[in-house]
Amino acid sequence: MIDAVLVLAGPLAAFALLGIVPPLRRSGKPAAAVAITGIGVSLVAAVALLTRIHAAGAPSIAEIVWAPMTTGPSITLGLLADGLSASMAVLVAFIALLVQVYSLSYMKDEPKPSFGRYYTYHSLFAFAMLGLVLAHNLLQTYIFWELVGLGSYLLIGFWFEKPEASRAALKAFWTTRLGDVGFAIGIVILWSSAGTFTFTELFAKVDGGALAGTALVLGVAGIYLGAMGKSAQFPFHIWLPDAMEGPTPVSALIHAATMVAAGVYLMVRIAPLLAHTPQVATVVFAIGVLTAFLAASMALVENDIKRILAFSTVSQLGFMMAACGAGAPSAAYFHLVTHAFFKALLFLVAGSLIHAVHTNDIFKMGRLTRIMPVTCACFAAGALALSGVFPTAGFFSKDEMLAGVLAAGHPVGFAILLVTAGITAFYTGRAFFVATMGSTDSPGHPHEAPLPMKLPLVVLAVLAVVAGVGGRLIPGLFATSIAPLAEAHGHAPFFVPALATVSALAGLVLAYVGYERRGFDPAAVRRSFGPLVTVLERRWYVDDVFEGVYRFVYLKVSNAIGWFDRFIVDGVVNAVTWGTWLGAGRLRTLQSGRVQDALYATAFGLVLIVWLAWGW
Amino acid sequence: MSDLAFVALSAVLLAAATAVVTAKSLFRATFALSGVLVATAGFYLLLTAPLLAAVQVLLYTGGVLTLVVFALVVAGSNTEDARWRKPVPAALMSLAVFAALAVSARKLPETPPLRGLQSGKDVGRLLFSDYLVPFELLSVLLLGAVFGALLIARKDRSV
Amino acid sequence: MTLGNLLVVAAGVFAIGLFGVLARRHAIGVLLSIELMFNAVNLAIVAIAWSKGLIVGVVLVMFGIAITVAEIAVGLALVLLASRVAKSVVLDDLSELKG
Repeated sequence: MIDAVLVLAGPLAAFALLGIVPPLRRSGKPAAAVAITGIGVSLVAAVALLTRIHAAGAPSIAEIVWAPMTTGPSITLGLLADGLSASMAVLVAFIALLVQVYSLSYMKDEPKPSFGRYYTYHSLFAFAMLGLVLAHNLLQTYIFWELVGLGSYLLIGFWFEKPEASRAALKAFWTTRLGDVGFAIGIVILWSSAGTFTFTELFAKVDGGALAGTALVLGVAGIYLGAMGKSAQFPFHIWLPDAMEGPTPVSALIHAATMVAAGVYLMVRIAPLLAHTPQVATVVFAIGVLTAFLAASMALVENDIKRILAFSTVSQLGFMMAACGAGAPSAAYFHLVTHAFFKALLFLVAGSLIHAVHTNDIFKMGRLTRIMPVTCACFAAGALALSGVFPTAGFFSKDEMLAGVLAAGHPVGFAILLVTAGITAFYTGRAFFVATMGSTDSPGHPHEAPLPMKLPLVVLAVLAVVAGVGGRLIPGLFATSIAPLAEAHGHAPFFVPALATVSALAGLVLAYVGYERRGFDPAAVRRSFGPLVTVLERRWYVDDVFEGVYRFVYLKVSNAIGWFDRFIVDGVVNAVTWGTWLGAGRLRTLQSGRVQDALYATAFGLVLIVWLAWGW
Repeated sequence: MSDLAFVALSAVLLAAATAVVTAKSLFRATFALSGVLVATAGFYLLLTAPLLAAVQVLLYTGGVLTLVVFALVVAGSNTEDARWRKPVPAALMSLAVFAALAVSARKLPETPPLRGLQSGKDVGRLLFSDYLVPFELLSVLLLGAVFGALLIARKDRSV
Repeated sequence: MTLGNLLVVAAGVFAIGLFGVLARRHAIGVLLSIELMFNAVNLAIVAIAWSKGLIVGVVLVMFGIAITVAEIAVGLALVLLASRVAKSVVLDDLSELKG
């Protein structure tokens, strides 16, 4: 399993070197070189791992005993390489490499120590994410899960002098932490019922019926809570839009392709368990659909390009979770991969645009097609993929998901998702047309992106278009998964792709007509839907609910407990002190310094001795 | 006959003792003490220990009381202040002690007294045979007491 | 005149002396009361010796008297010193070791 170890060792070594050797870290370009080398090694090793697994046709597991136990099974650490984890490792390493290369240009204006710090955090994050992917048991997954959360906090809050950035980082951390509590509880419940953390053993137990009933349901529900937090499912989605305070390459990496995908990855990983808990699966599905729709609605009213993309990510994650809940995990994973490509692409495009015009507002951008042709072309490719237009990768994966949902017998959910796909196309088109072809002249002197930024854009754009070829390549990787999931439902009904295409094209055409051809005035439409627009702008007031709960419940309880501690607990202690002082003061008078008073004690002793010796 | 003497001596003894603790003037108290000492000497006579009675009168009455009188003259006898501090607790405690001792005394088995003591010759013999060492040590003690008293009470303390 | 009665008388004198020790304010008054207690004890010892015919009791009492003499000498010297240094022989005023 040397290749799996190398996958992890590359970024870990880079992180260790950069972390421990400050002169190296502060040296600027060399620090970036170390990090990029680390992730490069990781990518090569991951590709080697994937080819090996695919050739062997069977998963590969290596484990060591971490905490030997005398009663019950020991706790082990291990690496699990199957089609799912190896392909995900390749994806993570690949996107991370592209982002790190992109950052060479994007972050070049940072002072050298910050530049090095940035790459150090990137290496840490890569190591954590890869560790999560290759984990062979739930406990290990949890450890790396938390480490990923740490990496995300450090990267979102990278420009920590900005108060909004610090607050956003904290918000991300706390919201995901809330889900992680559920995750931990779920793991413990499963362990106490099944006696193991390892995936293979858990799946065997669940198949054999040894692990069932309330314990299984609660355990899986707990794990889903963790996934909810990381994958921004309603109502834990609130951190993702705010996380845009971080540098754009960071958003591309962790808020498009990797960290938020970890939740989906986890749900795909435990699909066998989910298959045995239809109650939880239903909840997963319902919340997924809800998230998809609500997030798309919120993207409609955003003007900040990064926020549009953030809501878009939440929405797409909703799609993926819905697919998981509907019993189509391979479709969800397929979309995870394609989404990683085109969402990362879109974020990097946004970064390129922001870098050129120094604003995030799409309405302040315009007329860029001639000045930044490569960027705009890539933007178009990404937009088409996100909208799910044939023959982009996005089309195939979205199609699989919709088919899976319908085949699982959820016509209402299918309809909502279809409408959401249309909305997705619309807001994507809006962003594209307004930013690239709008009539405003962009501020400053915009110019095309430099090579380190252009290259990843092009690579990703190509992948976004071709990766869906045949629609079978990626799901085929599941054959070597430890839990091979045959797509039980037959071929999708022919009308699913047709409906999806209609919905996507409708959205795009509407956006074109509205924003480019001025067929109708979107601003007027927006005004006429006044109250609804307000609700969307306030993000369905979810943030306000959280704040209200915090302010009026949590703080009040804390204050009450604080009062109790100050007055009652401390009061008891103070009363004891006061009593001791009082008693001591009184007792002190016994020591009057006059010998006759001491003689009383002697005389009393005499009486006592006589009495004891002879009795009355 | 001896019973009458006993009762009379007891009365004198107890009265004098009371006078010692209750006299306002310490000179009076000192003279009351001399009464106690003489009464005790009388008891020793009654208990057939005449040598002891003589020693008692000579040493105590002649020596100790004289010292006390001299000390009173030098140190002052303070008749203006109250005699006692906290008499009630003191009385209670004394009563308790008396009760304890008296009740235990009553419990002793009553054996009729034997021949009695009498022999001064025996005392002398014991002092110079069995109890020679304590006797000699006693002289050292007295020497020490003399030196000690001198050192403590001298006027010039510069050395 | 039985042993028991003698001991009761001795106990009485002892108790009276104890009262004086506890209650008297003047230092020399206390010393006098201590003498009372000593005498009571001596009387008790002689009474017991008499009832058992042991001459050794007399020897013990003689030693006791001698020691008492030494003790009174030193005690009076201390009182004189106190009267000079602390300017008072009232025991209430000699309370440096107050807690």
